[in-house]
Amino acid sequence: MLELECPTIMKYCESIESRRSPLERLKDAIKHAAHLLPAQGPITVFIHHNTLHAFEQEPFFEAVERGGAVFRCEPYLSEQRFREALARGRIRFADVRSCLRVSLGRSGEERIGDLCSRFALRVAMLEHPVRSGSDAEISWFLMETEALRRATPSASAATRANLIAETRRWVMRDLRGSHAGKHRSARGSESRLGWFPSLLERFHGTEIEHWTEKSWEAFALESLWQICLAGVEQVPVQRPAEAEVNRHRDLLLRVSGTDTDLRVNDILIRFCAAYLDQGVSHWPLPNRDQGFFLSFCSLYRRSQASPDTWMKGLPAELARLQDQQISPLASALESLAELGVPEFEWETYLSQSFLALRGWAGMIHEVEMRADRVAQPIREGSLVEFVAIRLLLERFALRHDARATIGYDGPLDQLRERLRALSPPAAATSREQRAFLVFQIAQVLGWVPEQLFHLLPEDWISLVQEIESFGDIPQRRIFQQAYEKRFRDQTLDALALHERVSLKPGLAPRFQVITCLDEREESFRRHIEEVAPDAQTFGVAGFFAMAMYYRGATDAHYVPLCPIVITPKHWVEEQAEESEEQEHRRQRRFQRVIGTATHQAHVGSRSAAFGAVLASTMGVLASIPLVARILFPRLTSRVRGSLGRIMQRKSATHLKMERVPTCEPGSENGHLGFTLEEMTTNAERLLRDIGLTHTFSRLVLAIGHGSFSLNNPHKSAYDCGACGGSPGAPNARTAALVLNDPRVRERLATRGIMIPSQTHFVGGFHNTCDDSVTLFDAGKVPPTHREEFERVRRELVACCERNAHERCRRFMSAPLTLTFAEAKQHVEGRSEDLAQTRPELGHATNAICHVGRRSRTRGLFFDRRNFLTSYDPTQDDENGTILARTMAAIFPVCGGINLEYYFSHVDSPGYGCGTKLPHNIASLLGVMDGAASDLRTGLPWQMTEIHEPVRLMIICETTPEIMFKVLAGNPMGQAMTENGWVQLAVQCPETNAIRLFRDGAFEFYEPQAESLPRAATSVDWYRGWREHLEFAEIGS
Amino acid sequence: MPDLETTFYILGLIVVIAPVLLMSILGITSLVDRKLSEAATGRWCKCTSAIGFTAAASILVLMLAYDTRHVVIDLGNWVHIDESATEHEHYHFVFKFVFDRLSVPFLLLSYVLCGTIAAFAVKYMHRERGYNRFFTLYSIFVVGMVVASLAGTIETLFTGWELVGLSSALLVAFFHERPAPVRNGLRVWVVYRISDASLLIAAVVMHHLHGEGDFGRLLGTDPAHPWPEGHATASGGNALAVGLLLIFAAAGKSALVPFSGWLPRAMEGPTPSSAIFYGALSVHLGAYLLLRVSPLLEAVPILAIVVIALGLTTAAFAYLIGSVQTDIKSALTFASLAQVGIIVTEIGVGAFIPFVWYVALVHLLGHACLRTLQFVRAPSLLQDYKTLENAIGGRLPQHAGRSMRLLPESLRTWMYRFALERGYLDAFLNEYIVGPFVALFHKLDELERRWTARLAGSDRNTANPDVEQST
Repeated sequence: MLELECPTIMKYCESIESRRSPLERLKDAIKHAAHLLPAQGPITVFIHHNTLHAFEQEPFFEAVERGGAVFRCEPYLSEQRFREALARGRIRFADVRSCLRVSLGRSGEERIGDLCSRFALRVAMLEHPVRSGSDAEISWFLMETEALRRATPSASAATRANLIAETRRWVMRDLRGSHAGKHRSARGSESRLGWFPSLLERFHGTEIEHWTEKSWEAFALESLWQICLAGVEQVPVQRPAEAEVNRHRDLLLRVSGTDTDLRVNDILIRFCAAYLDQGVSHWPLPNRDQGFFLSFCSLYRRSQASPDTWMKGLPAELARLQDQQISPLASALESLAELGVPEFEWETYLSQSFLALRGWAGMIHEVEMRADRVAQPIREGSLVEFVAIRLLLERFALRHDARATIGYDGPLDQLRERLRALSPPAAATSREQRAFLVFQIAQVLGWVPEQLFHLLPEDWISLVQEIESFGDIPQRRIFQQAYEKRFRDQTLDALALHERVSLKPGLAPRFQVITCLDEREESFRRHIEEVAPDAQTFGVAGFFAMAMYYRGATDAHYVPLCPIVITPKHWVEEQAEESEEQEHRRQRRFQRVIGTATHQAHVGSRSAAFGAVLASTMGVLASIPLVARILFPRLTSRVRGSLGRIMQRKSATHLKMERVPTCEPGSENGHLGFTLEEMTTNAERLLRDIGLTHTFSRLVLAIGHGSFSLNNPHKSAYDCGACGGSPGAPNARTAALVLNDPRVRERLATRGIMIPSQTHFVGGFHNTCDDSVTLFDAGKVPPTHREEFERVRRELVACCERNAHERCRRFMSAPLTLTFAEAKQHVEGRSEDLAQTRPELGHATNAICHVGRRSRTRGLFFDRRNFLTSYDPTQDDENGTILARTMAAIFPVCGGINLEYYFSHVDSPGYGCGTKLPHNIASLLGVMDGAASDLRTGLPWQMTEIHEPVRLMIICETTPEIMFKVLAGNPMGQAMTENGWVQLAVQCPETNAIRLFRDGAFEFYEPQAESLPRAATSVDWYRGWREHLEFAEIGS
Repeated sequence: MPDLETTFYILGLIVVIAPVLLMSILGITSLVDRKLSEAATGRWCKCTSAIGFTAAASILVLMLAYDTRHVVIDLGNWVHIDESATEHEHYHFVFKFVFDRLSVPFLLLSYVLCGTIAAFAVKYMHRERGYNRFFTLYSIFVVGMVVASLAGTIETLFTGWELVGLSSALLVAFFHERPAPVRNGLRVWVVYRISDASLLIAAVVMHHLHGEGDFGRLLGTDPAHPWPEGHATASGGNALAVGLLLIFAAAGKSALVPFSGWLPRAMEGPTPSSAIFYGALSVHLGAYLLLRVSPLLEAVPILAIVVIALGLTTAAFAYLIGSVQTDIKSALTFASLAQVGIIVTEIGVGAFIPFVWYVALVHLLGHACLRTLQFVRAPSLLQDYKTLENAIGGRLPQHAGRSMRLLPESLRTWMYRFALERGYLDAFLNEYIVGPFVALFHKLDELERRWTARLAGSDRNTANPDVEQST
């Protein structure tokens, strides 16, 4: 049936395809090609996402390797980094072997050239670095080092002895006297032993009886080398499969060394920046509202302007396009035709063309799609227009450079053939290079000259092919798997062996704290539990189930505060208390005056006349803040802070968050807020998600988080990921206010959640950079709770100090001897320091995500590596309704963070945005390197430096059956899991048994360790260490 | 109690030796591959800056206290060829440092900014691969700045001038693993070379005129007539020639029109070096040179008019270009340049109203401080804008080229494009200077290959394929 149907369907599709006009087909090709563009929006709202999102439908290892080839980036850490990890024990040989065994399966047992199994060969190559180089390097190495005199140090003593003994026996028994001519074993051995007599002569063969051990060793190695050389001669020369080169530019670059992209990008960078500019320049691009294409045409159609010869003819062409009203798409089609790119090549050609300026093209794409997120939106279709202009410029640049470099004057559609004919063939692996590989492996594996000598030509072929097929990237893939396995084993062992700590059942804890599931809060929660052992903590996605647009009392705009996958439907505003409204208004007026003046000064300092006045009168005074802020950042910020407080008191505020049900939600007064019913639903969701439905304490704190630092364009990337890259303080405050509302409590009671009347909720904010906690609406804490509240507050201060202390061990510029208080001061200084490129380390330690009860992880030192999400499987139904909700945020948010860090770390200049030092904010949308470069997406090296690139290990406290149901309802999560972009395990809610997801099924995990190390407190465990630490039990 | 002269001598030596000490420490440890640790480098930088600054400040205090306006530290003749002894012309080479109303403020400015930026960079460059290289270049820069600002002879000036140029170009190319910084560094270097050549010729001409490169002799400044009261001794054609050469040199260093193209390219380096070198010190060095030779401008009014024209053109040009820049560093760069243009204009005007020279000096000092602060805060732009928006309570008003609206549309578009393409200065350079130059050398290269092939007796033409194709 199926076979019958397929051709008909295809025919049908083809007919539809052909009926569509070429312009539509080109539009589709552009759309498809644009999938490869980086999906990073404006940097002010940094959303972490999988850098290789375009490849998410493919298995992880294939995808990173293919993506690496497409983007010309590294798929894994470098071999050197892996070898360092091996040396310090981060990767174990046992894991390497087991990963190799799994990846090879049965094929590992196959014999290679009857020398050894494939598995043994690969193990040898992984355990001992096999070096290679150019012919000249190899011959230098052989001549100038001990390589031909002493066996490689990687070879064991036994192998070495065997090599010498076997060679000696072979020479004495078979070769000496008989000489090659009389040797009968293999055909053609005559020529293959041609090296023997001269070698023997060189070693004074007549005195062979007096040869020392040393001479024999050298002789054995020399003969091994000669046999390898002769052996690989029989393997056909294979030219490496050439990466298909499509673009004229790449071919021209290869042939002549001239890069036409330099010319094209130079113009486009400037123009794209001007087109997208959100307010850096004082003079906006003329005709910007007419779109990319037309504004470019009108700007560049004037012929008298530029002296650039390569652009000669461009004005006329632009005038033609504009005057004849040729659409951008039609122009792009013309360009492709002129370049001779046939339709089947469109998509590849366009995507490569895009990738030549991926940052800017991607930003046009993003700003076009999300016009609501920017102050100056751009017209729809800008990306197509960009393509049209880009192709046009490429045409002119190619024509000019082809003439200038290779004297080609013909039509561009034949340029590629011409260039292909001119381009030199790719160099094949030389005989020496191949022989050198075999030579090194032979020594390690103990293959002796005689053995290799007797190999048949087909054995040589399979041997060399086998070695060459296990090259750099396949080796690193195994290393990566072993790297992850070690970590996975440690993680799962910790969870499997940990004794559950549960508080006394039925007895309410003294206070409860709900924080974001962010892995940076892991240590914060641990310290709370250490400082106050009678406290309980929970973790939840940091928007506290209150998805909303929020505007603070002194903010200009609403910002969405929820994960990127949710679009908020409600608006909440912070307003001054009525009693202080007048005071507040007065202050706002004052602020507005100051703000306008500052803005004028800012703009004016860049103008000529006002700038001159400013510089000559006030300029020298600028040295005071300059020197003060750089030399004494913490002190200066304190002085500024107290000055600010004197000038304006912060007025008390409340949140405008209740709306009558008859009003539609909106951003205007009267439409703000949630209805009582919506509040109750959100509150119920929050409490059920974390399993806090009974035994409420008298005080419950909901603490959101964010990060404050200076001189940091990537600041938003440090904020709460679950709040879409903004601080989550308003959500926490809203949640507390909602839960304190007696009407909400009443309604919750009808839904089965009884919050005792003596329970009081307090919202708070944790600044993860300077480690301070602010608690909101403290004045509303009832007098009955005052004393307890003050005690909790003091305890939180202590926790912050300890947390700062734990963080400081990772800052190389913070001494390891700091006390708690000094550590707190240190992180405060970092946050206020203009010169600090690492105000905090962000998510650099993320690696695990635990979804389950805190009792599973309480008392475990997770080294700030664990996204701790509270979830009580005993309160969930058999379909995992609650778990499904939780996982819907985990996959995009935690998975996105983890993968972004992975890629930005393994190739910082490629996938990430390299070092921060030369960064330059462009168009208020992103950063460039220096004055003109592509827009740099991804994370800077300073953020990812200490990251260990492992895929996120998600462990859920649930059963495989429920997990399968959850995955079935979450296509993204299912794809990520099945394709291995995250690792998934489930832990049985009743026992400690863990099952690991592999190839579509959950397999039981056997703990590798017997017990966990134990320390009395966190400090005892981490003190004195800078690196990542093993997991340990905390508490005596 | 040493007498005043000895005190001045000792303090002056300390001012000069402190940065030289830093340079030697960092340079030598790098050469013998015993690089200092980050902390030690930072300590040395702060320490030498503090010592140098204190000495310079003490000199200022002493000068004010004793009402001395002209202090000369003479390190003697390093080369002395007497006319009578040989057949050669008289020649001597003097290292001489002058402390006066001009050099002391500029010296203090150099120390304050360099010291602050060193403190900034110690943290900013933390764990960067080129940490040691950065500070070695930094120390060379400081030596260059101190020597150039105190120079009493043109040879001394040239030494400092070259050190500043060399370290700046290398710092632009700091991230040498990427091609763009290296390309731009080379470009900066080439422009510097051209203007330095002019300074060198000026030195030769001065020697030719006076047999020595002493500014005092040329400008007529001496303890009795300290800057700016000197009266240039030279006049006529010679003075005009020297003046024009010096203006040319200053224009290259300060990126005045037509050399402005290199200035945005210099932003490739790490933020602290862009801040200090191009925003603050290096870009003012040209203006400083003009201030130093200001008596010459007074003596030859044509020079003053040239300077005014150059300054005004640059200011207008830079303002126009700066208003379309869409990245913060370029915007600040051109804003800087506009101010330098105005400072240069003020210097020119000073030839007619000498008081304006003081205005120019104050303007220069103020501008350097202000711009450095703006540059080091440049990465905070996003937060600053947000704060301002919050204060104002809405989007920031864009001054959509208000003054431009008066112009006809076609002229406006033309001007926008002119500004966006940075006045086509780079394009002109590429097409009319770099292009022909490279083409010539390609031809020479080809010739050389042919000749070597012929001389080597091989018939095989070893010229590389692309050159062959283009013939």
